[in-house]
Amino acid sequence: MMRKSANIVLLLLAVVFCYGLQISKPHYGDLIGPIPARGKLADTVVGRAFEVHAEKIEFARKLKVDQFGRQKVLTTGGVWAVVTVAFAARAESTVVSVASWRGPTGLTYDQTERLSFMNGLLPVAVDPGLPRKARLIFEVRPDQANNATLLISEKLVAALDSQAEISLGPVTITADGLPGGAVDTLDMAEPL
Amino acid sequence: MTAEALDRNNRASERKWRRRSLWSLLVLIPLALAVESYDSVKALLGNNDLFPRRVAWGESARFGGSDWKLTDLRGAFGMSNLPPDSVPVLADFQVKIGDPDLQKLWLGCKIVLVDKDGRRWSPTSIVSLKTPDNVGNCISAIFSGAKSGDTLDLRETFLVPKEATKSVRPSVSVASERPRFLLFQLEKD
Amino acid sequence: MLESARSRLKAWTVAGIGTAAAIAAAGVLGAFGARHEPLPVLAPASQIDIGEWLLRPLKAYVTAEKYAYGTLLKPGGKALVLEVEMTNRTAKSTKDYFDVLQAGSTVVDPATKPFIVLTRDSTMSPELHPGMPERMAYIWQLRDGAAVPASFDLTVIRKTYKPRDNLYGLPGWFNPTPAGTLTIPVGAGPAGADIQP
Repeated sequence: MMRKSANIVLLLLAVVFCYGLQISKPHYGDLIGPIPARGKLADTVVGRAFEVHAEKIEFARKLKVDQFGRQKVLTTGGVWAVVTVAFAARAESTVVSVASWRGPTGLTYDQTERLSFMNGLLPVAVDPGLPRKARLIFEVRPDQANNATLLISEKLVAALDSQAEISLGPVTITADGLPGGAVDTLDMAEPL
Repeated sequence: MTAEALDRNNRASERKWRRRSLWSLLVLIPLALAVESYDSVKALLGNNDLFPRRVAWGESARFGGSDWKLTDLRGAFGMSNLPPDSVPVLADFQVKIGDPDLQKLWLGCKIVLVDKDGRRWSPTSIVSLKTPDNVGNCISAIFSGAKSGDTLDLRETFLVPKEATKSVRPSVSVASERPRFLLFQLEKD
Repeated sequence: MLESARSRLKAWTVAGIGTAAAIAAAGVLGAFGARHEPLPVLAPASQIDIGEWLLRPLKAYVTAEKYAYGTLLKPGGKALVLEVEMTNRTAKSTKDYFDVLQAGSTVVDPATKPFIVLTRDSTMSPELHPGMPERMAYIWQLRDGAAVPASFDLTVIRKTYKPRDNLYGLPGWFNPTPAGTLTIPVGAGPAGADIQP
């Protein structure tokens, strides 16, 4: 009798212990997630395979682009955010293909897919010792422009690989609801 | 046999088996780890170029069923429209086909430049220099239908920083030979 | 011998009773009851919240043009265009809208998938970003020789959010199920007015 109840107590303890582990330990998805390499605007952020340096952010209502020799003006439901970055590979040639913009409340905006025909967008091939500039172009809600974070990784599933996380710092929102310094039209034909 | 004797007997054999099971763990746990990690180790070795085989200048080496020889490695200076301080480098190979099953043997063919610090450059798409029609690259050679005894001319174009041009050496690897790879030496080495 | 046979019988009986009890409990809880509730009928002039998306049908029309929003249509055929305002309600950019709307089988062959186009600049199925309403056009090829219908039925499919899926432990939207049907009038052409709420 004594032994039986001791067994039951042991079983209950094991259940409690396992439950405690389940709620307190990181989940599989967190364990195999990307490994952040953090930095600020104008810092060089060093990841496993690539380095990135965010030079400047520009906001615009419209983008002027060349599509197959024809000029086109692209509007957006939010605001265009264009980040100029410089990439360099570390030990090996690689391709950087994914970037997203994470707003202050955690909304994550992937690179726009509306200008896939343009040069200087991701994915870019980078070689060691040869820094290369690129433009990351996002459509974001104006209220997600302030204190945003730029996330850059080589592949879409950056499991257990580094992901650059660049804090872009404060951006004032003006009375017309746009980020401060936003221009009406930004010309993408300008050299990087 | 009385019930008591049976019981005693059972208990002794139970204890014996328990001991045997515990000892067997000594073998079973390492065995389980080895079986579990076998695929990972195979993938690790099969995806990485780890052990170089140096090939002296002017010599050819048997690799992936064929004989590889580096015929030239030179910089193409004086091109415009390139990133600052960068030089296109051309690597020319002559390959005498031995085993013609290139689609299997040359799968995952990678030709890269390695410098003295171990940095690796893959072929570039930024510079495209005109190559003669009979010169292919590693990937096009796989589908060229070359037969045993044919000689293929291969060329890959790279873009490397000026400071690295002195120390870069071409390396060739294919999935069927990894983790070994060929590292070609130059005349001056 | 007899002893072990009896204990085996006992084990079988217990297992049998346990299984029967489990099946009975599942039956009582409704596991075998087929769903018979009819799908709710949604108002076309409303915001339809399906969790992942907020939908607002704007207008529908049939076109016989060669191109509709930059997509090449089958020559000689007609296409049904449904313009709808879509808002991504999730926290991430997504293009998980391919199965959200199903046109009724009376006008469209259910096997044909619609083209889905951003009307702003005719981009074919781009990702839509969180909290930014966009006007999208679903373009279905009509059956050959079909007459222009006065209205058509639309089934709205919703998905369920799981904070962790069973395979990778990552969040996602799963298990598409019909959320409701609505009937949308087919207007005269692209210039028609939007459905007003």
